[in-house]
Amino acid sequence: MALPQPLRPGPTPYELEFIASDELIEISPSFSMERTRLIHGIIGPFRPPGKSKVPLWLAVNLKLKRKCNIVPPDWLNVEYLQERLAEETSSPAFSALPFRFAEIAKVLLDVAADDLALPDKIRSLLKDLREARQSKSRDGLKKLDHIQLEMANLCSMEINELRPFFVKAMGVFTKLQTDSQGNADDQAGGQDMDFSW
Amino acid sequence: MDDDYYSIDAILADNQKIQCTFKLDVPNLGYLEGGEEKDIKTNSKIQLPHWLAPTLLYQDWVDFAIPPPFSLRVRKALNAEPRHVRLSSLVGGGGQWYSFGRMIVELLQEPQSEELAKVLQQTFHARLVDLMDQAQNFGGAAGSMGGAVGSGDVGDDFREGLEGVERELFTLAQDSARATKLWYESSDKK
Repeated sequence: MALPQPLRPGPTPYELEFIASDELIEISPSFSMERTRLIHGIIGPFRPPGKSKVPLWLAVNLKLKRKCNIVPPDWLNVEYLQERLAEETSSPAFSALPFRFAEIAKVLLDVAADDLALPDKIRSLLKDLREARQSKSRDGLKKLDHIQLEMANLCSMEINELRPFFVKAMGVFTKLQTDSQGNADDQAGGQDMDFSW
Repeated sequence: MDDDYYSIDAILADNQKIQCTFKLDVPNLGYLEGGEEKDIKTNSKIQLPHWLAPTLLYQDWVDFAIPPPFSLRVRKALNAEPRHVRLSSLVGGGGQWYSFGRMIVELLQEPQSEELAKVLQQTFHARLVDLMDQAQNFGGAAGSMGGAVGSGDVGDDFREGLEGVERELFTLAQDSARATKLWYESSDKK
């Protein structure tokens, strides 16, 4: 295989961030520009007081050149995140956050902290959320078997972190399982034994 | 872990010895026993590598004893507390306890094989959560705090007791936790 060992289990967090930078986000540009056609799609027009939707990578680029302000997405504010955190700590399910929220939130906090209200508070809320969700995925591990694992609302960064471990562990389960099925047929009285291949 | 022809792990697990008792005389193979005898006599006990044992078993030329890593004593210990058994010391460093166990399962007859398979599954399941906890905390701390995690000695013991596949899993979880942590700490601001 041509890929170096560390890259084989899946994409790196940086690659996920790169993928997430294609998501659209609203900006209020501080310069005007006509509609521009790129391979990727049409951008603009920018007319200063008005807002415009652009991919995240462009928004970041313009922001770093001080040519726009980023309008934070409606889930990136203290109230919304606090609600989610309360949900997260009170119910056993994962709360519904955008699939790539971790990547987008990080990029925005890094680049456009001044466009957000209370960025430090948001930062610590995101951290709490992450920890709460992590302990839940750990609980999910207890339910792991060789067939499937269902954890709804897991976000891309979390999936990526768990993937190599879970996949390998399920592989081991499969190996340990098929035997006992092969030898013990259907009377093994197990919870998963009625699964037919 | 798999039976794949090219799997190094499978080859290593194959190399484990099983204690076998011959049921018949075998002329001219006494040197396998390491002694002076010219023939292998009935009832002589020889450690055979796993790749050789099944053929002889199916021909009903030998009997075999369940190897010590899966003895009753170990199984009882595993039933009591799977997380405190050092699997690595049962099969040697980097040894493949689960693979070896699975091979033994294949050699055993019905009620015994089922029982052992269950022990293998339950052990793996019970150790998995701790395994991930350890890997994530260890990995997270290794970069910043020099590996000083609160879990202390218990954690060290557990880590040293991991067998081959568990070690692989540990590294996987550790690496992904570390990569994610690095990403969270990096900055996009140029």
